[in-house]
Amino acid sequence: MRRYFSVAIIALVIGTVVRAGGKSASAADEYDYDTVHSSVSFKARHLDISWIHGRFNEVEGKFSLDRDDPSKSTFELTIKTDSVDTANEARDEHLRQPDYFDTKQFPTIEFTSTKTNAVEGGYEVTGDFTMHGTTNTITLILKGGKEHDFKGTKRVAFSTELSLKRSDFGFDETTIGPIGDEALIIIDCEGVRK
Amino acid sequence: MTEPLLNPKAMAEVRRPASRSRLNSAFVLGIGLGLAVGYHGLSFRWVWPPMNGLDRFLTIAVPAALTIELVAGLQRVPRWAVWLLRMSLAATIPRILLHGSVYLMSGSGGDWTPWQTATALAICGALLAGLWGLLSWLSQRCPGASIRLALCLAIQCAGLTVMMAGYIKGGCAAFPLVATLLATTVGAKLIAKRTGTQADFGASAGLAMGVVGLFGVLFIGRFFGRLSTSCALAMLLAPLLCWVTEIPPLRHRKPWLVGSIRLVFVAIPLVVVLTLAKRDFDRDMAPLLGKLQESAIRRHVEG
Repeated sequence: MRRYFSVAIIALVIGTVVRAGGKSASAADEYDYDTVHSSVSFKARHLDISWIHGRFNEVEGKFSLDRDDPSKSTFELTIKTDSVDTANEARDEHLRQPDYFDTKQFPTIEFTSTKTNAVEGGYEVTGDFTMHGTTNTITLILKGGKEHDFKGTKRVAFSTELSLKRSDFGFDETTIGPIGDEALIIIDCEGVRK
Repeated sequence: MTEPLLNPKAMAEVRRPASRSRLNSAFVLGIGLGLAVGYHGLSFRWVWPPMNGLDRFLTIAVPAALTIELVAGLQRVPRWAVWLLRMSLAATIPRILLHGSVYLMSGSGGDWTPWQTATALAICGALLAGLWGLLSWLSQRCPGASIRLALCLAIQCAGLTVMMAGYIKGGCAAFPLVATLLATTVGAKLIAKRTGTQADFGASAGLAMGVVGLFGVLFIGRFFGRLSTSCALAMLLAPLLCWVTEIPPLRHRKPWLVGSIRLVFVAIPLVVVLTLAKRDFDRDMAPLLGKLQESAIRRHVEG
């Protein structure tokens, strides 16, 4: 009986040590993209005289924040191109077609970080941005990162803006005319800690 | 060098199988050159690996069809082997055009289940093979330029309909096809007239390119654009109405009358589809161009 008791105590101690060690080895906090309190919107020039505004309604993502070693932090975002919404159904249908997003061929726009640095007021994140089947390396400045505890749920938010040229991502240059080449993408992302 | 069109001996030479084979190859190369010039003129991009359905159509399906027709023109290749190649291409083209798209993705990201994918690919392949086979059979039974002209008519309507459905680049792909097929058909007729033969030079190559071109434009319009299945099917099957002249009262009419009747019958469903496409364009796409917005404002002001 004493022998079994000793084995149980040793197992408990080892388990506690391993669990504590695992915790310290993985200090990064993981967050899921909160679809309710986040948005990915964009605007592009129309005829070079005005701006067309739109958003993507279906976005998924996650990020991990290592506050001790920010270089270990990672960010991922997946945008479903089919969910494009410019408040005009006919235009949305047109944007889904191969002349623009080609959503049947390229159903997602993806960003995966490859390098993260802490900067004042947030993080500088470099990563692979894949749109329209073309992957380019871009750098984002994510502003924010302050954790907020709301009713027992920890939340972190970031916001960023990036300017992209459609021609850099394989969009047909003949369709770049009425709608300008350059598009501004605005990402406001709130993460819920897992 | 002997000029075949001016020298009677050379004209007789053209009637020989070996010369006809060379002439057929020349027509295939002419179609390829015409398409290359046309697509270059329309600023179509040539990228490898191809990025989307239209790229795959232009860089894989069209060259494959032309290569098969080049092989088909060779004397030593048996007919069954040529048809085996054609049917293999017909079965493969739908899979090639859908490559990498949501239709072939497995899991939650895909639009279709594996069963749906297999069924759709089989039906599309069968439609292309059936169209190709039936029009070739008709071309053997009752040769004439009218079948290729009917295909040109269908391709042109397909291009316009795809454009009006919102896929402008996909619709534009039809125009070099039509121009090249028309040019080679007229060229073949002129050569036949000058050499005094009844041979329909380049008929199989023109027909193959017409069938594959029509299928390709409609397929990318349907699966990547917003072309409806019923419109796509109506335009794909419209050239089969050329068979109407095989009924006894029409069969032995003069060739020009048979050809005209074929074109009229093929044009009927195409006109209906174009009319419906124009109606949909006015309702859905025109507001993006500002036309309906203006008329709506006018109605509002008048009301």
